[in-house]
Amino acid sequence: MKEFSAVGKRIPKTDAPDKVTGRATYGQDFKLPGMLHGAIRYSDHAHARILNIDTSKAEALEGVKCVVTADDVPETRFGFYKDNMPLKKDVVRSHRDEIAGVVAVNEMIARQAVKLIKIEYEILPAVFNVADAMAENAPLIQPNRDSNHLITNTYNHGDVEQGEAESDVVVEVTCKLPYVNHASMETCVIVAKFDHSQNLTLWSTTQIPFLLQKDLGAALGMSPKNIRILQPTIGGAFGRELDIYPYHPIAAIMAKKAQVPVRLCFSREEEFRAGPQRQPVEVTIRAGAKNNGDLTFRDVSMTLDVGAYVSWGSTTPMVMMETTASFYRVPHVRFKADCVYTNNLITGAMRGYGNPQSSFYVESAMDMLAEKLGMDPIQFRIQNANQPNTITEQGLKITSCGLEDCLKALAERAETKLEPAAQPHLKRGRGVGGTLNVGGGARIYRSDGCGATVKVDDFGHVSLITGSTEIGQGSETVLAQMVAEILSVPVDDVRVINSDTDVKMWDVGVHASRTTFIAGNAACLAAKEALGQIFETASELLGASPDSLKAENGQIIAPDGKSVSLSKVVRSRHFRSGGQMVFGQAFYDPPTELVDKDSYHGNISPAYGFGMQMADVEVDTETGQVRVLKLICAKDIGRAINPMAVEGQIEGGAQMGLGYALSEEVVIKEGKVMNPNFVDYRLFTSADMPEIENIMIESNDPEGPFGAKGIGEMGSSCVAAAVTNAIYDAVGVRLTQPPMTPERVLAALDTKAAG
Amino acid sequence: MKPFEHFAPDSVGEVLDLLQSIPKAKLIAGGTDLLLQMKQGSAQPDTVISLKNVEELRGFATRKARFRLGAGMTLRGITRSPELKKHFPGLVYAASVVASEQIRSLATVGGNICNASPSADLIPPLLALDAVAHIVSRDGQRDIPLADFFKGPGKTILKSGEILLSLFLPQPSGNMFYSKHAPRQFMDLAVVGVAVRLQKNQGMVREARVALGAVGPTPLRAKKTEALLTGKTLTPKLMLEAGEMAADECSPIDDIRGSAWYRKRMIKIHVRRNLEALL
Ligand SMILES: Cc1cc2nc3c(=O)[nH]c(=O)nc-3n(C[C@H](O)[C@H](O)[C@H](O)COP(=O)(O)OP(=O)(O)OC[C@H]3O[C@@H](n4cnc5c(N)ncnc54)[C@H](O)[C@@H]3O)c2cc1C
Repeated sequence: MKEFSAVGKRIPKTDAPDKVTGRATYGQDFKLPGMLHGAIRYSDHAHARILNIDTSKAEALEGVKCVVTADDVPETRFGFYKDNMPLKKDVVRSHRDEIAGVVAVNEMIARQAVKLIKIEYEILPAVFNVADAMAENAPLIQPNRDSNHLITNTYNHGDVEQGEAESDVVVEVTCKLPYVNHASMETCVIVAKFDHSQNLTLWSTTQIPFLLQKDLGAALGMSPKNIRILQPTIGGAFGRELDIYPYHPIAAIMAKKAQVPVRLCFSREEEFRAGPQRQPVEVTIRAGAKNNGDLTFRDVSMTLDVGAYVSWGSTTPMVMMETTASFYRVPHVRFKADCVYTNNLITGAMRGYGNPQSSFYVESAMDMLAEKLGMDPIQFRIQNANQPNTITEQGLKITSCGLEDCLKALAERAETKLEPAAQPHLKRGRGVGGTLNVGGGARIYRSDGCGATVKVDDFGHVSLITGSTEIGQGSETVLAQMVAEILSVPVDDVRVINSDTDVKMWDVGVHASRTTFIAGNAACLAAKEALGQIFETASELLGASPDSLKAENGQIIAPDGKSVSLSKVVRSRHFRSGGQMVFGQAFYDPPTELVDKDSYHGNISPAYGFGMQMADVEVDTETGQVRVLKLICAKDIGRAINPMAVEGQIEGGAQMGLGYALSEEVVIKEGKVMNPNFVDYRLFTSADMPEIENIMIESNDPEGPFGAKGIGEMGSSCVAAAVTNAIYDAVGVRLTQPPMTPERVLAALDTKAAG
Repeated sequence: MKPFEHFAPDSVGEVLDLLQSIPKAKLIAGGTDLLLQMKQGSAQPDTVISLKNVEELRGFATRKARFRLGAGMTLRGITRSPELKKHFPGLVYAASVVASEQIRSLATVGGNICNASPSADLIPPLLALDAVAHIVSRDGQRDIPLADFFKGPGKTILKSGEILLSLFLPQPSGNMFYSKHAPRQFMDLAVVGVAVRLQKNQGMVREARVALGAVGPTPLRAKKTEALLTGKTLTPKLMLEAGEMAADECSPIDDIRGSAWYRKRMIKIHVRRNLEALL
């Protein structure tokens, strides 16, 4: 295999030094001359009719520029069910509903002023769980609908009844998965500015600049072509910024009325109360296998509380059905998901997008089956593992597939048995859990593409202008590595430009572990085109045919050893009559299809990533405290463009996954968040992190750039499954409700002891 | 946060003068409790008096068979003091499990006490050590056993114009252990905190202190449990009974950090475990 000069190298993220030394300009650091500050007034009730809004006291407060309400905007609706509006006029449907906004000289005064807005309500009955929302005569949350039932997603292959009849063992478990918050270091922030011709410029931490243009146009009643979005350095997003939320248009409404730039920045409390959350799910899985260890069927049904307005949380069943139908080989599968409106929180996209939920129930059932069969859990999974170059019943075209290699790597580690704990009340156990993730995007829009331009200037400096977005995942570094590899220049010579909708070409957004794969392929195609132009001119200079040339260390070399520098080639092409610049352009849209809208069959991703994790835990049987001693992560990543960046993704994912497993939960009571802070919403800290071992399985994907597949989400998806299986191994109780807090574990131990 | 006036006097005298002329002023030591309350709006002082520059509030010293611990001593200072480590290792341990190194370098023992949170980590150990609060004001001074200092969550016996200057600790008799039960290793508030001190003579308990945090409106002494232990020799059965009695003596509530049943159970476990450690 060819030796690479840039690809496969461990290089620190190119943007890291500026970030860790405070030089990067994050959204929250961003200032414009004359900029004022906004704050939002939210509802005081989960469901109420607004009778009157009195803004006079707020307007009278010194330092207040203006107050905005629904009266300041045309009646628009947005969201993919068109059920949300920027500011609510008649009815509020959740505690997070935005009613008014204040623009003031500073944030403190703006926040003080929103409290002075007097709102009279008529309180309406509210529903806070799926059962109540589905009850007959339940209060209707969205007036244009017949009931609070939003949608049912069903999927089938084979015949579940036949599958069950063929089963020697059958298991069933009901799991309840919690709300969790993205908890990005940077909270939501946006700066909006109108120019004199009513063009809107937004500085936004969005993950979907081009879709946001379109959605904002709809929300504001203006044309997207008059909306330009700039992205400052983004301090984490994890899916939070994958949709339009009311605060986006509200910032624009404020800027319009104030006639100056306005900044809106969430407090941490607002981030918890008004931001989207990971989709909670209540799910029952029945699954079966034959005595020989072959899987027979899976039957899954679930309900999802999507809150009062629909965002991406309601589409997570698509991902969960993929795990249910296609993770391991199962001949008979039935899946049903009901999404229901309630007066609770909005649920959005979050790293893993359904996978942390589906990995939890599928892998719980896998261990239960293995136990009933008396089989080793890893060998049982190997027997049923997906294989390369197969098409699943659902229509997923699995090309590269390192699942079996991941499992074998774990089996090898599992040969070293756990040391017993030091004291009798401490019990140790080991468990595995895995995930099937899209490995290079997911076609949920008509285009899953990304555009790229590579230009080389007279000095040999290379710019990659990419449609993709950097949200801390390290895309700037790996994209630069790929372009540097193709052009054979040092990685430092490549700058990635990715922050302006007026400059970069279209991209669907940063999600579905797609940037390395999709933006990477686009960047490679553009770089190859640029290289073709370089060879064309170099061949004149060197007197050799273009296809005999090679690029190395910034030099173009002919077969006879003669060479010319890259920058000289560019200048020679540029400074002549009829001169040309070196630039390559590409738009890469992967060879995938939208799923069939009724059967949900179809190949939505050009590659699939597989990951397995093995957790060693120690359970204190007197307190219920679970400590993770070690986490081994075996991931099929195609190829590591930058192994250090892969480790960062996996370890960061593990931190999120461990929080999901053991400590994180947004607790709500009657629609209100009870723990909107980092004291009571417990993220795993560095002190809590276990030892992590990374095993990278390089399955070399045929479609991926240099064989790479996406890795952004997988790290967080299967931790909770591995941990629950490890707890079972340690103490013989099956925890079905993350986070598996000490209290929940102890309660389960008590129940077991009571018989 | 509301704007406020900020004073940073150099001496206790000046602090007391300021307090007299602006009775509603709030004292700020490390600010790790107060600033949060100001940001959330539960405290909205117009005037804040910083104790940072007041030399007399600092330090740890021996005075006539007892020890003086300045209210302004930081928790980091406590964890770094060889003297404290020698005489009060249990207290040093309690300071070391508060929050994080960053918070500990601001947070003070006086703030931990005067904030009067039921879950404050330093209070149970100080109760178990029979600490006395030394309080001064323009009208004079008074010494109050710490056990009588707390009136409820966030409420103390301090009157307007008074500050906590220091704590007096008697020569410790016997060892003291503190255990903090919290889901995370650091940066977490105690679900329960348990301090136990035993003075033993030939295996027999002569004096017992059992102090509990986060299981009532204030940190409290489990006096029945102390009585149960006194005069007896520690046996597995007695230690178990002591745990159960302490659990009976406390009155936790259900809240976001833990259910009442769970807190009671943790008291039972940790009282027993501390006794075992003191065997
Ligand atoms: C992230 C975080 C984590 C934390 N974790 C823990 C933890 O694990 N355990 C724990 O116990 N606490 C914890 N705390 C709370 C806090 O850090 C401690 O209570 C700390 O000891 C308070 O000290 P301070 O000097 O910062 O108090 P301040 O905030 O300065 O003051 C607190 C209160 O005491 C009053 N006060 C201060 N000094 C005096 C004095 N000399 N006389 C009279 N009144 C006075 C102030 O007026 C104020 O009302 C945490 C706080 C944060 C922000």
